[in-house]
Amino acid sequence: MNPLELTLGIMTAVGGFVDISELVFAAKAGSKFGYALIWVFAIATVGIMVFGEMSGRVAAVAKQPVFNLMRHRLGLKLGMLTLLASLIANLITCAAEVGGVAMILNYLTGAPFRLMAVAGALVLMASMWVLPFKWIERTYGLLGLFMIVFAVALVAIHPPWDQIAGGFVPQIPKGLSTKELLIFAYFAVAIVSAVMFPYEAYFYSSGGIEEEWGPKDLPMNTITCTIGFGLGSLLSIAILASSAQLFTPANVDPQLLGSSALEVAIPLGTTGLVIALLGMLFAISGAAVETCMANAYSLSQFFGWEWGRHRKPWEAPRFTIAWVSFFVVALLIILTGIDPMQLVEYAVLFSILVLPLTYLPLLLLAGDRSYMGEYANGRLGDTLGWLYFVLISLAAIGALPLYFLTSGGQA
Amino acid sequence: MKPSGRLKLVSQLLDLPLIDRDGNYCGIVDDVELDGAPGKKTRLAALLVGPGAYSGRMPGWAMRLVRAIGGDRITRVPIGKVESIRSFVQLKDSARKLGLEKTEDKARAWIPRRGAL
Repeated sequence: MNPLELTLGIMTAVGGFVDISELVFAAKAGSKFGYALIWVFAIATVGIMVFGEMSGRVAAVAKQPVFNLMRHRLGLKLGMLTLLASLIANLITCAAEVGGVAMILNYLTGAPFRLMAVAGALVLMASMWVLPFKWIERTYGLLGLFMIVFAVALVAIHPPWDQIAGGFVPQIPKGLSTKELLIFAYFAVAIVSAVMFPYEAYFYSSGGIEEEWGPKDLPMNTITCTIGFGLGSLLSIAILASSAQLFTPANVDPQLLGSSALEVAIPLGTTGLVIALLGMLFAISGAAVETCMANAYSLSQFFGWEWGRHRKPWEAPRFTIAWVSFFVVALLIILTGIDPMQLVEYAVLFSILVLPLTYLPLLLLAGDRSYMGEYANGRLGDTLGWLYFVLISLAAIGALPLYFLTSGGQA
Repeated sequence: MKPSGRLKLVSQLLDLPLIDRDGNYCGIVDDVELDGAPGKKTRLAALLVGPGAYSGRMPGWAMRLVRAIGGDRITRVPIGKVESIRSFVQLKDSARKLGLEKTEDKARAWIPRRGAL
């Protein structure tokens, strides 16, 4: 295992972990419920570690990404249903991320939102055209490390560390009314969805194939998923904790994306604010690229097209046309004038509905000895995998009723 | 697994990706063609690749949609051109030689060949 590669892999995972949904829901969750939802972030993070590790392992051992094998396991009809559902979920997520990029560029430059959406999307598409896979992954992941300023800001405001530590213990705050309990449950479901977005598994496993992983890379896969995702999740928890510390006493409801950046501006001033906005810009840009590529990967793999950004765009032409088309459609959705924050709600809602369909084939494949041989899931992997499958299935069942009962967490 | 051996068509072959001699993805086993007669052994004659091979596997309305978007092309890959069957089907020839590159070539004409590292 090359230590430099390993360090870069971990740093990329940390910087690429947070996206617009986590930013929005972490800040809102902190302002509404204090530290009481930290445990949900922690549990969901272990979930994405478990499934991320499985998807990387399947890619390294079976040499096939998730969607190639998903169709084989689910069959054409159910496979196509899963494909359609995940394409829609990822497209909504991609549009929300493009909207997030435009909002931050708008904050930084003062230029009109729509102009910034077009400019941002063009720059992201140009980067996807020019850079090969490894550079795309590393560039956005490493630049996303600016997000560490959120952890620095949390330390600077001297929060009650004992209460933050207490947030890791599963709990439901006492004295909540029925309405507040429903909102708490909605936030819990939304956080699980935001942390375990389906595109993450597609992108991660396809990345493993792009980088030609083999069984020798399995230790790196495990370390990247556990340490990288774990540290990345701590940034989301830092956003939640700062929000709880700063916004709850002031009765501030952080409805806008920029509200999260104020958590840094308060203790660290203008410099901190600019660094936070840059971190958010790169993290959300990375997520926009990942969601778009995840859709192109899924489509290409399902139909057996040539795919991958380790190849030149003209060497995988249908894959290239797919990612360009998805990005253009995502941009058009934003240009209709729909509120990106509303899209974040839809993305989280639609993604949780897709999650069980996404992760079930992965779980079956990772435990299948005919594909995986000695690298198939052990008892721990199987137990955790099925446990999380039950959890996300319950979350999926509860998501729509909770959304309507709470008007998307607003009631 | 060798294609001449016994195999379970649905669990071990159908919907597996095809990879050509040069390591390129070039389709999915969308259906199979069988050879045989009453009282004789059934043998796998060819793999069928392309949206046209979905008919019979999808509801009529979905098939009409597939046909409108992807056409109804079927490419026949004789079983003699299959090297092995694992988590993918390894082919002995290049995708172009087997006629599996036609749509990819059409799409390639739309992509400018410059600017990428």
